[in-house]
Amino acid sequence: MIPLRLKVETEAIDPYVVRLRSFEGVAHDMPTLSSFDAVLGNATGESADYSGGEGTLRVFGIDASDINGDVLFVVPRRGTAHRLIRANSRHNTLLVTERCDQLCLMCSQPPKKQHVDMFPFFETAVLLSPENATIGLSGGEPTLFKSELLEFLGRMLAARPDIDFHVLTNAQHFDRDDLARLGELDLNRVLWGVPVYSSDPNVHDGIVAKPGAFDKVREGLSILCQAGAKIELRTVLMKPNAAGLADLARFVTTSLPFVDKWAIMQLENIGYGRQNWDSLFFDSSRGFDTVGKALDLAISRGINAMLYNFPLCTLPPNYRTFAPSTISDWKRTYVSECSGCRLRDDCGGFFEWHPKAHGYARFGLT
Amino acid sequence: MTVWPLKFRDRPDGTLLFSDDAGGFFLGSGEFLGRYARDTLSPDDLRFLRGNGHTFEREGDPDWTSFAYRWAGRQSKQKELSYLILVPTLRCNLTCGYCQVSRAPEAARGFDWSNETLNAALDFIGDLKGPDIKIEFQGGEPLLRVDLLEQIRAFTRSKFPRSQFVVCTNLQRMGEVEWAFLDQPDTFVSTSLDGNHETHTRQRTGDGLATDTFFGNLAEAVRRLGSGKVSALPTIDVERPPDFEDLVGNFERHGIQSIYLRPINHQGFARRRKSDPNAIARWNALHSGFIDYLIERNHRTGRYVEEYYFGQCLRRFLRSGIDDHVDLRNPNFFASDYIVVDYDGQLYPSDEARMLSRIGRVDLSIGTVADGIDQQNVQMLNGASINNFDADCIHCVYQPFCGTDVVDDLSRDGHIDLIRSETWFCRRHILYSTKS
Repeated sequence: MIPLRLKVETEAIDPYVVRLRSFEGVAHDMPTLSSFDAVLGNATGESADYSGGEGTLRVFGIDASDINGDVLFVVPRRGTAHRLIRANSRHNTLLVTERCDQLCLMCSQPPKKQHVDMFPFFETAVLLSPENATIGLSGGEPTLFKSELLEFLGRMLAARPDIDFHVLTNAQHFDRDDLARLGELDLNRVLWGVPVYSSDPNVHDGIVAKPGAFDKVREGLSILCQAGAKIELRTVLMKPNAAGLADLARFVTTSLPFVDKWAIMQLENIGYGRQNWDSLFFDSSRGFDTVGKALDLAISRGINAMLYNFPLCTLPPNYRTFAPSTISDWKRTYVSECSGCRLRDDCGGFFEWHPKAHGYARFGLT
Repeated sequence: MTVWPLKFRDRPDGTLLFSDDAGGFFLGSGEFLGRYARDTLSPDDLRFLRGNGHTFEREGDPDWTSFAYRWAGRQSKQKELSYLILVPTLRCNLTCGYCQVSRAPEAARGFDWSNETLNAALDFIGDLKGPDIKIEFQGGEPLLRVDLLEQIRAFTRSKFPRSQFVVCTNLQRMGEVEWAFLDQPDTFVSTSLDGNHETHTRQRTGDGLATDTFFGNLAEAVRRLGSGKVSALPTIDVERPPDFEDLVGNFERHGIQSIYLRPINHQGFARRRKSDPNAIARWNALHSGFIDYLIERNHRTGRYVEEYYFGQCLRRFLRSGIDDHVDLRNPNFFASDYIVVDYDGQLYPSDEARMLSRIGRVDLSIGTVADGIDQQNVQMLNGASINNFDADCIHCVYQPFCGTDVVDDLSRDGHIDLIRSETWFCRRHILYSTKS
């Protein structure tokens, strides 16, 4: 697994954001450096030394070539640095807050009460990001800090016309007054990922543990639609909502026809998802009927429906084209049965933390 | 709760089909219709209507918004001009009995683009926005003027790297120059294949040996260019249709899975033939039978062949945005995304409009390639090219899925203020819709 947090030593006292630069073997003149850049000096097998605006920084346990161009958030007091932006990855996500107003049964990142405002650091990180990056904003629930979030997006979209954002939100907190502010953003470059689990309000509210959440998410989606926002609808498939998936598909075609895509997602075995695994994990290799019906209906009506996090061999062959490799590089793995599989290059495999007894009755190509 | 207006139509089995303006539809009973008409809908009725997107509480609420979105998606959008149909020559080396396009003898003079017209056409192409341009060469037989085709293609390629070219050719007389022109990655072939040898000979070549040559060239085209790059259309004489098995087999043999069954057109020189007032009923019966045959055949063989136009109708029932077929969309804006440049440099909003003008019935030209598009004429045509407010269409359960065709109405009846249900266009689409 690719490490997201590194052990460091630094002279600085306060937290800061820095971009690591290495010019080993670069013949031409060094490009202009900003005060946020730190340049690689000595490197040994164990550590690499950088120097820049905040003094020296020693990074342990990783090859300097793997972190060249990365943007780090350095916390001197703890001796750690968070890799906010990994230059070689398409999967960079900034965690806006750990607070949340929902408590989803399968939450991969259970919420916490405390909140530290990271937006000033995130702004620096985005400005230092490589060209044409897509940056995720997640939580907790980012729109609990809606004002700050929209201001942040506005400034960043203007400052970096090459960068796109993917915001994961429960869409519980938009109101009509936000239409004007949303309208000021370049909404073609922001994809709003919003979860809806069921067309039955009780089932949806039960999964997110918030009464009234279903009505609220419909309002929020409706406002995003009117603003002209791009929406990725996200449905984690689980025992509590599997039987209603075809009904949800019908609901999407009539009530949410404006979504840009609909992602039906397999469960991630982490956080509450791990605690509640047995009552939640739905073996879609055996019960694919309900998934297939939902996909057929949605696609026939022009909804761009996809399967996320489904190992390809667990799907009937004619549905594999709807299952792109979606598990982020730093949390992707394969099981022993995958060795030698001819679909491996196109397959997202498993989350690193998926149980070795993977739970799919039908697995492997036959 | 407000229920969006519903339209309805009896079905043969005693149920009724209901639809709304956004293309939502369902089957209901006569009793339901009674409750709807008397405003005495039951709680179950309302629950059903709400669940299927037929109601809203107040303007701007989620139900209202999704309905508005679906309604908007049902209207075709006016687009940038990106598709040109060019007629560099009207001359042809065949004399098909039904010639759709009006033709001139191969040796005739004055039926090819002049140098001025060619240059004006190049300027016209140069002024397009791009980046995606499609050029269709029609005729006459366009391959009689490969030199003109070459100039157009070279210029278009140089301006628009993502351009595509379709040559509508009879594949009758092919030499190395013709093959070399076709055998390019950005160039496609569209031809006529009237079902089987006998029908093709009777309707097109008049000579069995010439038909052999055609079939040889078709096979060669598929071999050289690949089956995905060759399409073919059968023109059907409703009085003497080819055997379906022969027809479908001939298409499938050449790797063509989509068959667009077209009746002999009422325009062009085809009009000279006697027209039968019951032709539409007989055409409908034939087309319907063909679709049934295809369904049965696909089921039997496990392979699939589709009837293109019926497929298009069916797709329009299921989803919005299926507006790429120019004979079936609403509103049907003229000279919006495509336009025709005739052999004499006149511009027409469609190939049918060109034929209709050629026979002197009505002048539907909308400018010249040198002087540009006459927007006043285009606006006049566009004013009538929308079914949303047509006195008959507004009551029709199929309105959101249907389209308009002013040119077709003009060609058959000479005017456009018609009782819709008596037009060929309407009767044809009622059948397809009912079948869908």
